[in-house]
Amino acid sequence: MYKKRQGIGSWIATILLTLYCLIAIVLIGNMVISSFKTKQDLLFNTFGFPTKISFENYRQVLVKDTLYKNFFNSIILTTLSIASLIFFSSMTAYGLSRYRFKGRQALEMYFLLGLMFPIQIAILPLFIIMRTLKLTNTFLGMIILYTANMSFSLFIFTQFFKELPAALHESAVIDGASEVTIFLRIMVPISKPVIFTVMTVSFVQIWNDFYLPLVFLAKRSLHTLTLAIYQYLANFLAYWNYVFAAATLSLIPVIIVFVVFSDQIISGLASGSIKE
Amino acid sequence: MTKSKAYIGFITPGFILYTLFMIVPLGFAIYYSFFSWSGMGAMEFIGLDNFKRIFFEPRMSGIFRNALGNNLRYMAIAIFVFIPIQVLMAYLIHLQIRGHKMFRLMIFLPYVISPSIVGFFTLLVFDPNIGMLNNLFISLGLPQLVSAWFGSPNIAFYLLVAVIGWNGIGVGMVIILANMKNIPEDVVEASIIDGASTWQRFWRIELPFLQPSIVNVVVLSSIFALTQFDIPFIVGGLNGGINGKLDFLNLMFFRYTFGDAYFGETALGFGAAISVVVFSIIFVIALLQKLVFNRVFNRR
Repeated sequence: MYKKRQGIGSWIATILLTLYCLIAIVLIGNMVISSFKTKQDLLFNTFGFPTKISFENYRQVLVKDTLYKNFFNSIILTTLSIASLIFFSSMTAYGLSRYRFKGRQALEMYFLLGLMFPIQIAILPLFIIMRTLKLTNTFLGMIILYTANMSFSLFIFTQFFKELPAALHESAVIDGASEVTIFLRIMVPISKPVIFTVMTVSFVQIWNDFYLPLVFLAKRSLHTLTLAIYQYLANFLAYWNYVFAAATLSLIPVIIVFVVFSDQIISGLASGSIKE
Repeated sequence: MTKSKAYIGFITPGFILYTLFMIVPLGFAIYYSFFSWSGMGAMEFIGLDNFKRIFFEPRMSGIFRNALGNNLRYMAIAIFVFIPIQVLMAYLIHLQIRGHKMFRLMIFLPYVISPSIVGFFTLLVFDPNIGMLNNLFISLGLPQLVSAWFGSPNIAFYLLVAVIGWNGIGVGMVIILANMKNIPEDVVEASIIDGASTWQRFWRIELPFLQPSIVNVVVLSSIFALTQFDIPFIVGGLNGGINGKLDFLNLMFFRYTFGDAYFGETALGFGAAISVVVFSIIFVIALLQKLVFNRVFNRR
């Protein structure tokens, strides 16, 4: 629709945006390169290439500091939370968008309140509820919280289900399928693209989450990668050569997911935010 | 849509989880705010005393006003500086300037970096001794530009805002960019034929179509601004940096709520009162923004 801009203004814009994007490239590149330096090398050759490639930092953080445990914690917690979130939010969204009943719209609004009020505001009573239910310092408790925080994914699922033709459901009913069968055999398979979108967006959010693990996972053996990196930062000057390796390790999964699924993540975040 | 009772079965499990762990806590926050309570033992009903302390007790109200001021200042920067930048970035990508596909990815990229790593990057760039910036200025022979950065009370806040902005600017940008695809092509083409300049076309024709996404980004950014926690906590610490320059309402809330681990002073009732105040401010600001937008855009 637009002819490609060839003017001087377009060149200036390209150069400015390139400089802006260089910030991320330099920061990430420097981190990866530095993670292969020895402490000596880092001190005297802070921003250059390593004089000798060393895996000592990785050996230290993974084996001696047992960062592999934090890595494992993050993977378990993120995977189970996403599975649970998708299960409950798709089911709820399906009930909300494919059936006609009194108060349906009010109920939908009720479920979207979570978009307006982030969980942080209610963290104190939540802490008391979790303590009473003996769910603090458990992965189960965290999975429940990530699932309960379902407004965003519920919204994406609701939009998708609403646009499906009614005939899909009617013909299945004529064939004698039960409501549960219709959901599992017809609706879930055709929702694969949306499920995928919710998966990738939640992966980034849960993997990087700092606040909930900080409050609810005080026990060191349960710390996620994000918390472990934070612990390193607290003793930054003593261990700064290790932080590079630890941070690189924790960034690898998100970067892979981002490179492969950036379109799903971006379109998911955008579609979840444009109402009307 | 179908008429069948099956919806009850589909909705109930999610309803229970969502209500118990999202909505009930909100209600309880209001309830606790009327009590003096250390988290264990008896709760003492003290009416509005917690709120009086927040607003009127000299020391506390000073801390509160300072933190609220930082939240509001950050919100103003997000709305009046970041959103125009987000619109401009989205528009340049929409116009398909050279490298637009890569820019879309690279501007969004920092969003997937965890707050801990953003905090680490902040140290690497701004540390007065080992940081990249000071070392760069020295090696370029510009020692007059060397600064204490986060150690300098005058600029620390703006540096923090820039870091948070770098981390999250891509989200609003892609929301607005997605909205640009809805601008009808024939209207734009007609304006080109009529000889409208790029500038006129943007202001008169394209910008009005972006109203839904801009309204949403304003509301989302405001909520985000009022609930800042992660990066200020990691970069500035729980006490809110030098002279409270990096203090925010959520940090203040955290200090008094989970105080025992940090200060030997826990005041859950007082913490709850702070969260009720934050909650009310979000509510009022979101409502005001809706009203303002309805006025402004309906007049067009």
